[in-house]
Amino acid sequence: MKVLHKGDIFEHVFVNEPEVNLHIMQEAGSKVKIHVINIPKDLKGSNDPKDFRNSITIEQLGEGCETEIYALAFLHGEEKVTTETHVTHAVGGGTSNQLIKFVLDDNSRGHFVGELKINPNAQQTEAHQTNRNLLLSDSAEMRTQPQLEIYADDVKATHGASTGQLDESALFYMQQRGISKQKARQLLVGAFMKDVLNTISDETLREQLLNAVDGVVE
Amino acid sequence: MNKLLEIKNLHASIGGKEILKGVNLVINEGEVHAIMGPNGAGKSTLSAVLTGNPAYEVTEGEVYLRGENLLAMEPEVRARAGVFLSFQYPVEIPGVSMTNFMRTAINEKRAYEGKEPLSARDFLALMREKKRMLELPDKLNNRSVNEGFSGGEKKKNEIFQMAMLEPCVAILDETDSGLDIDALRIVAEGVNKLKTPQNASIVITHYQRLLDYIVPDFVHVLADGKIVKTGDKTLALELEEKGYEGIA
Repeated sequence: MKVLHKGDIFEHVFVNEPEVNLHIMQEAGSKVKIHVINIPKDLKGSNDPKDFRNSITIEQLGEGCETEIYALAFLHGEEKVTTETHVTHAVGGGTSNQLIKFVLDDNSRGHFVGELKINPNAQQTEAHQTNRNLLLSDSAEMRTQPQLEIYADDVKATHGASTGQLDESALFYMQQRGISKQKARQLLVGAFMKDVLNTISDETLREQLLNAVDGVVE
Repeated sequence: MNKLLEIKNLHASIGGKEILKGVNLVINEGEVHAIMGPNGAGKSTLSAVLTGNPAYEVTEGEVYLRGENLLAMEPEVRARAGVFLSFQYPVEIPGVSMTNFMRTAINEKRAYEGKEPLSARDFLALMREKKRMLELPDKLNNRSVNEGFSGGEKKKNEIFQMAMLEPCVAILDETDSGLDIDALRIVAEGVNKLKTPQNASIVITHYQRLLDYIVPDFVHVLADGKIVKTGDKTLALELEEKGYEGIA
């Protein structure tokens, strides 16, 4: 468990860690920005983990806290990622923003549990949770479980979840311009993932991951 | 005169329903062909089939591009060989910038022709030149392909891509739809500037209006999956007056 005191900022990018287990209590005016990136195919070792578990718990205990959670998983073969977020707004005036994306190829499995709680006295909270998933094969599977508990009435809260496949009309449009189907897929999958990676503050790491993504799309 | 495209007895269907029922057409270098016809006649199906849209099935007939079997080529190979479609409904591709998209397309085509990729500098200079021709804004480069473009911008962007790729057969599918008169003029002027004695275009339209700007050598009337009448540009005027009923 980690406590962020008044005005503290915690920012971290987790890349391909088999397990991320984070519990942060935020005091007034503190900021959290977390990225959890799972692109196991980019790992070079032979004993790479196939099963990843991410659990992030955030409690906003003071007023005016900011929380940003970004998660991106790009899975192949039998790989599996479970990402759970538990965000609680205990007091008002805070913001939380979550963008969770999975790209699933082959027989891979994705599981997202998004628990968002806004307590009765957490008025004027702004909370957004978005989960978008892209299935690249018929045998890949995604499970999404958003759990929203909103007990305050003067809040702005949005939530969206969708799972789909690559846009066939966009693929054909690119092929009609002479771009191979494979390259067109790369561009579309890359575009899907890039909005998560583009939020990483560390420029070197961001570029490194953007390049890694380009190398992994087949 | 060299034959560019030859369509022989082309039949095509979608979802088991036959739309094209024996289209025959020969297009030579330097020619502009207009294809007109009522809704549902098969005009857009023809453009989809020529470009290899996987939603359609060719059930009979042949198409040759400079003597080569076009129907045997993958859609991207047809494009690299010089078949271009200005889409009736250009597709939005969020997250893929115009620069990245266009540069990939140009360099795939160059690779097919056995040429080196364009340098970043030459590529950007080419973009600039062609954007100016279509009166497109400088900021186009960083925008996602067609995303948030107005109807007129989307159509200008189609002709911009045509200018970049320099196809030998350009199919303009209802390029005039949704354009105001200024955008129509810019688009038509763009198409006319791209005309050479070696290339050809097929202009698919409902209305005579576009043909005031892009003057066709031939006008064909497509009805119920077949070309039922062919004439010169005066046929388009006649159609405007009498309607399709009066002609076919």
